[in-house]
Amino acid sequence: MSAFVDARTLPSGTVLTPDIAIVGGGPAGISLALALANTKLDILLLESGGANFDPVVQALYSGTQSGDDYAALEAGRLRFLGGGTNHWGGWSRPLDAIDFEKRDWVPHSGWPFARTALEPYYPRAQALIEAGPWIYDKGDSIASAKAPMLPLGDGGLYTSWFQFSKTRDGVLPTPFGTRYQGDLKVAANIKPLLNANVTAIRLAPDAKRVDRLDVATLNGNRFTVKPRQVVLAAGGIENARLLLASNDVMKTGVGNQNDLVGRFFGDNPVPRDVATLVLFGGKRAPYYGNNLNMGNGAVMRAVFTPTAAFARSKHVMGSLTTMEHPVELDETGKAATVTTATALGVDAANASAYSVGCGMELMPDPDRRLTLTGDKDALGLPRLKLHMRVTDADFAKYRQTLSELGRQLLASGAGMLRLNCSKRADWLKNMDWGHHHLGTVRMHDDPKQGVVDADGKVHAIGNLFVAGSAVFPTYGASNPTLNLIALTLKLADHLKKVAA
Amino acid sequence: MKRRAVLAGLAAAGAAMAAGLYRFIEIFVKHYPATPYDDVLRQLADREQATLLGASVQGAPEAQVLAARLRTAMPDGLAAAARADIAAGRLTEVNGWLLPATVVLLAALAAKT
Repeated sequence: MSAFVDARTLPSGTVLTPDIAIVGGGPAGISLALALANTKLDILLLESGGANFDPVVQALYSGTQSGDDYAALEAGRLRFLGGGTNHWGGWSRPLDAIDFEKRDWVPHSGWPFARTALEPYYPRAQALIEAGPWIYDKGDSIASAKAPMLPLGDGGLYTSWFQFSKTRDGVLPTPFGTRYQGDLKVAANIKPLLNANVTAIRLAPDAKRVDRLDVATLNGNRFTVKPRQVVLAAGGIENARLLLASNDVMKTGVGNQNDLVGRFFGDNPVPRDVATLVLFGGKRAPYYGNNLNMGNGAVMRAVFTPTAAFARSKHVMGSLTTMEHPVELDETGKAATVTTATALGVDAANASAYSVGCGMELMPDPDRRLTLTGDKDALGLPRLKLHMRVTDADFAKYRQTLSELGRQLLASGAGMLRLNCSKRADWLKNMDWGHHHLGTVRMHDDPKQGVVDADGKVHAIGNLFVAGSAVFPTYGASNPTLNLIALTLKLADHLKKVAA
Repeated sequence: MKRRAVLAGLAAAGAAMAAGLYRFIEIFVKHYPATPYDDVLRQLADREQATLLGASVQGAPEAQVLAARLRTAMPDGLAAAARADIAAGRLTEVNGWLLPATVVLLAALAAKT
């Protein structure tokens, strides 16, 4: 049994020599440590924060921005044990097979493996997030037994399903820090170290291996970790920052010989009220507007998803469209409803209308990127600047998907749709974000196109790996947590082989 | 004499009913001035709502052009034409609403008459 150690109590100058050092105690870091528990490997889990939120530690995240409005860099992530799962919404859905494919209409697309490579790991990832049985593909039959599904005419979208991480007292989905700290403590081979900030990755002079990690605490302790293997699991922003800032041997930063680290920053835009959906019959099943307990341990919600065939034919990106709160129609909306419904021979006397929301996937963009600034944080690490950019083409592609949904509603006679966003300002007016930090340490077999290989190993560095959504080259519209955990479990299997 | 009174009574009752029906139609059934396009416009179940919608249609051609186009577009009636539009993806945006093209043309015509 290994109790949590507070790095502030370690003597300065200490040298730790684990088999594997995991940098970051969020969902990826904790999942990786748990997957390596009770092996012969000596695991050191380095978490920058403590067990609870501390604004001084959180301030290490702050940085600057340019381009389109985006959440502040210290917002949307949490620097203490459990990381982002301390405030996540629990929305879970596996990536679609097409999300892994190289698509001609999506520059820089294509994972080095197909979804089938992750499928063996999804059940364990699902167990870790505590989202109940794996029934994403059975939602139609389970839900329709409770209330009729909304019929869509044949076409480019279908109803798919989110599942939700288990909530406690109706508030928080599984927070990995508090949920799994007991499991981390009882594993004899895992040493969790709190308040331990990795400030540099020191390469050997030949730049082929990591020699050591510099670690600092906010009370002034400095010590060294000399691991056999290193896994960065600090999130899509901090992973890139550490690599870029570690530039004493590789002058452009570790793994950045092809100027890719920090580029292709991604997130899922969540513009609100993108459309108004009218149901001629008025009634909708509860699982469209709310997360519904299906009575079998699963909580589900229906969303509208483009089919792979539609994506291929219309060149759209991933998106997941949700029905939200009821809204009132204006006079033109009422006239459009009555005129259209009667034209189709449908009764709309009890019609109701709902706001429509979504999560979108952005086209990969090398100029949406993180760079180092001259400003430094309390530990001397350079702060980041994010240049954010959402193109008009991103919005236009999703608008095309919404139009198809509108057509399918008319085709089934179930309802109709109003597109609420025409101009760029319309989309940006109600813009929110998933706070999913993706793509900055992208994965590709070719070192010129990716920072890490299919195993998550940094190209040309023998013992440095990256876990988490930072390595996603494209990412669909599914929330990343389930998927990054599955990918982390795949990495754990690989590490068991290479580190044994 | 008695028979004559009964017949007169029936006639009076019939006249009263006819007058009542006339008044009912006057009050409750919508009337529109005759137009050269009534053969097309009668496809609309609610012309007032269509007129309201049609007022938002941008760049519609003249009424006679619209009517001519609609006569061609609706050989089997509005419902069939609307369904064919939907199947073929012929949707027109009116103030953001995605509507079958024929419905929009008809609403535009209603707004012009």
